[in-house]
Amino acid sequence: MKRRDLLKTTVTAGLLAAPILHIRPARADKGELVVVSWGGDYDQALRDLVVPEFSKATGYSVKFDAPPETAKVKAMVQSGNISWDVILTDIPAVLTLSKDNLLEPLDYSAIDRAKLDKIPKELQRSHALGQRLYSFNIVYNTTQLPPAKHPRNWTEVWDAKAFPGGRTFNFQGGIEPQLEMALLADGVPVDKLYPLDVERAWRMYDKLRPIVSKWYTSHAQAIQLIGAGEAAVGCTIGPRGITAKRGGAPIGVDYNQGKLASDNWCLIKGVRDKKVAMAFINQAVDAHAQAGIAQRVPYGPSNGGAFEFLSAAEAADLNTSPQNIKEQFWQNVEWWSQPGPDGKTPRETQATRFAKWMLNG
Amino acid sequence: MRAATPSPGALLTAVSPANSRPAKHVWRSREGLLVLPALVFYLAIYLYPLSRIAAWSFFDNGPTLTYYRDLLGETMYYRALANTLEISLLSTALCLLLGYPLAYLMATTAHRARRVLMILILIPFWTSVLVRTFAWIVILGNNGLLNRTLIALGVTDTPMKLLFNMTGVQIGMVHVLLPFMVFPLLAVMSRIDPNTLRVARSLGASPRRAFIEVFLPLSRPGIAAGCVLVFLLAVGFYVTPALLGGPGQVTLATMIDMQINTFLNWGLAASLGVVLLVVIGIIFAVFSRAFGVRELTGSGGA
Amino acid sequence: MTSTPPGRALLWLFGGALIFFLVAPIVVVMITSLNASPYMDFPPRQISLRWYANFFTSTEWVGPTLLSLRIALIVMIVSTVLGTLAAIGIVRGDFRGRQALEMFFVSPMVVPIVVLALGLFFLFSSAHLLDKPVALMLGHTLVATPLVIVLVRAGLRATDASLELAARSLGATYWRTLRHVTLPSIRESVAAAAIFSFLVSFDEVVIAIFVGGPDATTLPKRMWETIRFEIDPTLTAVSSVLTLVAVVVLVAAELLRKPTN
Repeated sequence: MKRRDLLKTTVTAGLLAAPILHIRPARADKGELVVVSWGGDYDQALRDLVVPEFSKATGYSVKFDAPPETAKVKAMVQSGNISWDVILTDIPAVLTLSKDNLLEPLDYSAIDRAKLDKIPKELQRSHALGQRLYSFNIVYNTTQLPPAKHPRNWTEVWDAKAFPGGRTFNFQGGIEPQLEMALLADGVPVDKLYPLDVERAWRMYDKLRPIVSKWYTSHAQAIQLIGAGEAAVGCTIGPRGITAKRGGAPIGVDYNQGKLASDNWCLIKGVRDKKVAMAFINQAVDAHAQAGIAQRVPYGPSNGGAFEFLSAAEAADLNTSPQNIKEQFWQNVEWWSQPGPDGKTPRETQATRFAKWMLNG
Repeated sequence: MRAATPSPGALLTAVSPANSRPAKHVWRSREGLLVLPALVFYLAIYLYPLSRIAAWSFFDNGPTLTYYRDLLGETMYYRALANTLEISLLSTALCLLLGYPLAYLMATTAHRARRVLMILILIPFWTSVLVRTFAWIVILGNNGLLNRTLIALGVTDTPMKLLFNMTGVQIGMVHVLLPFMVFPLLAVMSRIDPNTLRVARSLGASPRRAFIEVFLPLSRPGIAAGCVLVFLLAVGFYVTPALLGGPGQVTLATMIDMQINTFLNWGLAASLGVVLLVVIGIIFAVFSRAFGVRELTGSGGA
Repeated sequence: MTSTPPGRALLWLFGGALIFFLVAPIVVVMITSLNASPYMDFPPRQISLRWYANFFTSTEWVGPTLLSLRIALIVMIVSTVLGTLAAIGIVRGDFRGRQALEMFFVSPMVVPIVVLALGLFFLFSSAHLLDKPVALMLGHTLVATPLVIVLVRAGLRATDASLELAARSLGATYWRTLRHVTLPSIRESVAAAAIFSFLVSFDEVVIAIFVGGPDATTLPKRMWETIRFEIDPTLTAVSSVLTLVAVVVLVAAELLRKPTN
């Protein structure tokens, strides 16, 4: 009896101890780059269309990780244990990270001139280079709101009498409130949007509240709700609506008054090998590669040169095709990231205000 | 309170005439040593994160209470905390009301049937919460299976609002948490000697009285464990209230996540965590006083 | 005691309804997993096994599934042992500060998981254990042990310590009492604790995200990766496969069991 208990204890201790005895020093693997993105089909496209050329040119292999949690970036930088290199993430995250000094400035000399010429200047920032464009668009259910009679602008989205049905807008999930849409709904012309009249926007949000059936926390849920008819129309990612439509969902997307925003390449502060990381980014913004990626995942490529490799049909659905891009506006990142007298950026102030607005009713 | 008796065989094998130990005290303090392996583990793995959390919460280039000042002056955190407690208490009550009869059924049925029911109850565990939530929208939505069926049967002519409110959240949470109530109850109930109830009946008690005055009290440890488990798990839920709830179900977990990821304000997030710990501690202290400390700490049965 | 047939029948009806409630959404998921379209409409218009093919032919999914199973198994064993011993020590032991110790042991369940995960990141970072399965095992054990303690404590509360005293005063050794009196009396609670600690580890996502990485990706982490933008229908296939395998294994075990109990 005693022996068996002793045996049990030893085995348990062994199980606990054994893996720990394999401690290896901190990773600074030569020959491996870690790219952090959102996973799924986009990562697969990068794997197929960007990595081979990159590996051939530099001799480095690429490992992917997901999702690009900002807290994890900060934790890595703070602990000195940096195991991520290149990050693909949205502007709100870029703003959060750069405010806390967690990003490495990009070395633009490593990007081919020809490519940079074809990438809109708005997308070339000191700490982030646009890779793909997503957009917040009017996404609606085609059964409840047929294409002939669907909301064509945000004023109509706010009008539940003319266009009945629930609305779905975002709350939390790292996305800021859609103040621009609120102002457009109130009749503010696109070129007079910025600087945003915040109070006016929140008054419009007060009008929106009663007709929202669900404040979604993930775009996946927004698409499901609209497709299932639980919401008739919403403000979510147009390209995701297109993907669902291609999959057979009764979803339509109207690009009018859409807000363009970018997913961007950034480097983590203290990145292990900046030259190799920049070489990857250089490969990723290649027009040919971006065209191939866009064919698989309908986000607008940042490199305008990619359109030369796309057919008219493929381009038509993309949010940055010549005709679609005309209808949309660029989110003014500078306005959102300018710290106020209290040291807080509008992104922080409005996100806090949004939470209060939601909880205090 | 007599509980189940081990078989005579077990008692006999436990006895060995050769070794004789006198004092109850010696035996009990030896048993106390059994906490050591867990304690060592906790000290190794838990202490460091705890100290980080304390550092984030109470330090900001020097000791400070600004985070607490910020959060205690902000109504939205009280609301979030209230939402969290409301959701959790409701879930606990529902799980108890639904789980007790089910556990009772299982405890008083043939062993084979009991095990089949156990297998059935464990089925949902293999489907992650994210995937289940998707299914709930399909089932509970305005155009969902349930509403379509009810309307077709003429039970109602407008769809019932079962999603994005407390109803939806409770359905989602009870679905996840029910097994955590049923199993502790079952574990305790299956130990209750059926003879005890038979004796009560033969002494003249009605079935109802036998149940209320004999069975129910004997199952109390199971009730306590089930409620503690379900409540604590419910308090930590993030996904279900976020995906199935409305503005009235925004939880403290959402607020903490916002501070951790959107604002990178770990000081505030840690402070919210500390506040939650304190509040839960107070709730438990109140319950211990009301129901007797022993129920919750289970300090001995003798 | 509802020994009356109508009372019993009512109870069975109730139980059946509850089981239906538990299983119905899972059936919906299984049906959805057969949907040919990547957009998961319901009911599916076209049937296909493509998501199952996707799951089985892709290391992206099979790898994390196996890792999650491996980690959960270890966590189950370690946390059940640690927690059971600790529960016995607390309930039957006799030393000062028992209640405080118990609250300390249960507290990881109350600390918000994302805050705890951050703390664990820094712990494992300094131990150079990030992105390694062992760190996940340790982290999961920390959140599973409280569960074990709560469950086993209930079992101990329900049994009579005087039995153990009787055995001891009759001359049984310490270990003998533990093995032949205490442990058998809490058999069901320990079994429940083992099941739950396994499942808690298997489903755990937050610690997996912070402490894991490309070399240590669990199934929940893989599921969480894309969830912001899309629900990959492969998730429904994964859940269905796991559910079916679990049911088959458990039913087989049941059928192979000897009829006497």
